[in-house]
Amino acid sequence: MTRQEEIQALIDKLRSLVPDIIGVLVGSSDGLAIAQSLSNIDGNRVAAMAATALGLGRRIVESLNAGTFSETSVTGSEGQIFVYNAGTKGVLAVMVGKNANIGLVHLEARDIAKAIAGVLG
Amino acid sequence: MTIKPLKLIISGPVGAGKTTFISTLSQTSTVNTDELASEDIGKATTTVAMDFGTLDLDGIPLYLFGTPGQERFDFMWEILCDGALGMIVLVAGNVPKDFPYAKKILDFVTSRIPIPFIVAVTRQDLPRVWEPEEVADYFGLDQEQVIGLVATNKDSNITALTALISLIERDLSDQT
Repeated sequence: MTRQEEIQALIDKLRSLVPDIIGVLVGSSDGLAIAQSLSNIDGNRVAAMAATALGLGRRIVESLNAGTFSETSVTGSEGQIFVYNAGTKGVLAVMVGKNANIGLVHLEARDIAKAIAGVLG
Repeated sequence: MTIKPLKLIISGPVGAGKTTFISTLSQTSTVNTDELASEDIGKATTTVAMDFGTLDLDGIPLYLFGTPGQERFDFMWEILCDGALGMIVLVAGNVPKDFPYAKKILDFVTSRIPIPFIVAVTRQDLPRVWEPEEVADYFGLDQEQVIGLVATNKDSNITALTALISLIERDLSDQT
């Protein structure tokens, strides 16, 4: 399996584990899309914005001496997006609608983010 | 009376020296958001959100906000430019192929907020490099609006800031 196929498989696994998830994207930490499962959204745009959120989140955590950056989130009236650290090279963005089970999203997405970090090396 | 800080934008194509420019000048520890570059852009890391540094120039407090250089982060240009009073667009003097993109950034920002700006041609320490005069011709700007500098050299960066601030001051006095 290529690296991209491995990541795509992890994305599919995450979606099957958490049906509340409505979109997933994996990008490089400098904002290029690697693999995705999105509908009607421009993945390249999401990849760039996820990298920005990741970069800023990392620096905020550093400034606060709050340890290692794990994730950041943005919430709107109709949905949320979570941006997870996936190693030094990657970022995982997970979109959910309102009323999603956030605890379950975090539980699975953090594991998947770790697995993605392993694949990206 | 405390003077309100001047918010200035440092923009330009990838690799022009924006992060270096700010870290050379800043008197406080800078915020930078460098991430590993996954493409070959001639350097190991690239800015994904912003750079931020501050300094006091002749009693005027300056806030420097650096934008990411790559076009996919163009949404940050608008966010960072909000409330800015001036802009320096850095272009690497030895990479003329990036000039059209620098022009695009300039047009993008000045069409939304008509702020005073200067173009700074970096890497003036290299032997084969475009001179500020030539770049002024390329951009169709007055000579005084284009400055040459070396982003690692603090004095040259201050010259650029001073040039921008006098443009801002002239702009303000024209308005009153």
